[in-house]
Amino acid sequence: MAITRIGNIASTIPDDSIQNVKMSNIVQSKNILINGDMSIAQRSTSVTGITGQGYNTIDRFETHASSLGTWTQSQSTTVPSGQGFATSLKMDCTTADASPSAGDFLYVRQKVEGQNLQYLKKGSSSAESTTLSFWVRSNKTGTYIAELYDIDNNRTISNSYTISSADTWEKKTLTYAGDTSGSFGNDNGRSLDIAFWLGSGTTYTSGTLQTSWGSQTNANRAVGQVNLADSTSNEWYVTGIQLEAGSVASDFEFLPVDVNENRCLRYFYQIISKTDTNSINAYGYYYSASNIKFPTRLPTQMRSAPTLEQSIATNALRFYRDSTYDGLSANFVLDGNGSGRYVSMYNSTDASGTAGQAGHLYKYSPTQADSYIWLNAEL
Amino acid sequence: MIINTVTKNYSAETNEFCSYQVTYINSSIVKSVPLDEANTDYQAIQEWAAIDGNNIIDNGA
Repeated sequence: MAITRIGNIASTIPDDSIQNVKMSNIVQSKNILINGDMSIAQRSTSVTGITGQGYNTIDRFETHASSLGTWTQSQSTTVPSGQGFATSLKMDCTTADASPSAGDFLYVRQKVEGQNLQYLKKGSSSAESTTLSFWVRSNKTGTYIAELYDIDNNRTISNSYTISSADTWEKKTLTYAGDTSGSFGNDNGRSLDIAFWLGSGTTYTSGTLQTSWGSQTNANRAVGQVNLADSTSNEWYVTGIQLEAGSVASDFEFLPVDVNENRCLRYFYQIISKTDTNSINAYGYYYSASNIKFPTRLPTQMRSAPTLEQSIATNALRFYRDSTYDGLSANFVLDGNGSGRYVSMYNSTDASGTAGQAGHLYKYSPTQADSYIWLNAEL
Repeated sequence: MIINTVTKNYSAETNEFCSYQVTYINSSIVKSVPLDEANTDYQAIQEWAAIDGNNIIDNGA
């Protein structure tokens, strides 16, 4: 196969001129998407009872459901044989909805920053096409939709793919034309969504599938999509998702785990995870008699100043200092923005000590397993 | 998640308004949200506050 494009490098290499070189060794970060091999799952490896919108298991992949079944999402070890993948994202229907209302929907998506998309030259006469490739498996055969959504300009393009054989891994390759209208913002904002539809009501299926870029029209977004929610026997797996410039799908770009993880940390970082037990998680000091401060340098620049998200059982955390400790609950506060490179949090509700005393923040017991403090800068 | 309350936080060092504390209906999750327009929770607070009847609590420094 002649190679006509590798990432941003346009060239023509004759057939058979290279034999043993993998494209993934030539160009790094050709994949617009992050964590496409589903290997990083910081929040959890399995979440039950999903009915709405949120990041649940696999980093960077958000589930958005609206009144269409109840789902368990997990990081699965069911993978296509011999392809090098160790993990996949699994959606398992636990409460069915065989008759969706018009506005119901379910999809799994990843949102991409505009500054990472500038080389696609969207909105210009030389706009690049893009190719989406992935491995997928389901017991539910039929037509599925994968959609690109330009958030900056409210434009969409959809392609369909067919799962032909039940419970069999299949590789799909979909090419999307370049768009000469509407450029992506060159910033850290949300510019492009890549959505894998899994079901929808007639609001999104009653028109004609929009296979060329155009203004967003709900009726044209998911035409033909099967309803994965119609039975609790249904499940859907995906891995090896890659979106790249050009009209050819190259081999999946496997990244070293530290590189992949670091890319995820730009969007999500755990000061205390749900699975931490009897662990030291941060260092702090009594700024005053009623205020403990925890200045924390982050491992990488986050996309934006992050939200501090916390769910902490009463006194599940302890601040050990001077041969005693204070029990701490979900009363941590961000003190300033930190610009995504560091954060400073404080607790002035549960603190009572001596100014200047230093100590460490400790997650006390396995019985408080679900307590956590997260930093979130997702799109 | 549906926002229940939004309260202004003030810096322990400078006494300046420094972040929002957000609680949610039927949830034990509490968020402390920075004053960064690129932060999606900050954006959600602005949308929530723009709705008639939703008020940000300000207890002062």
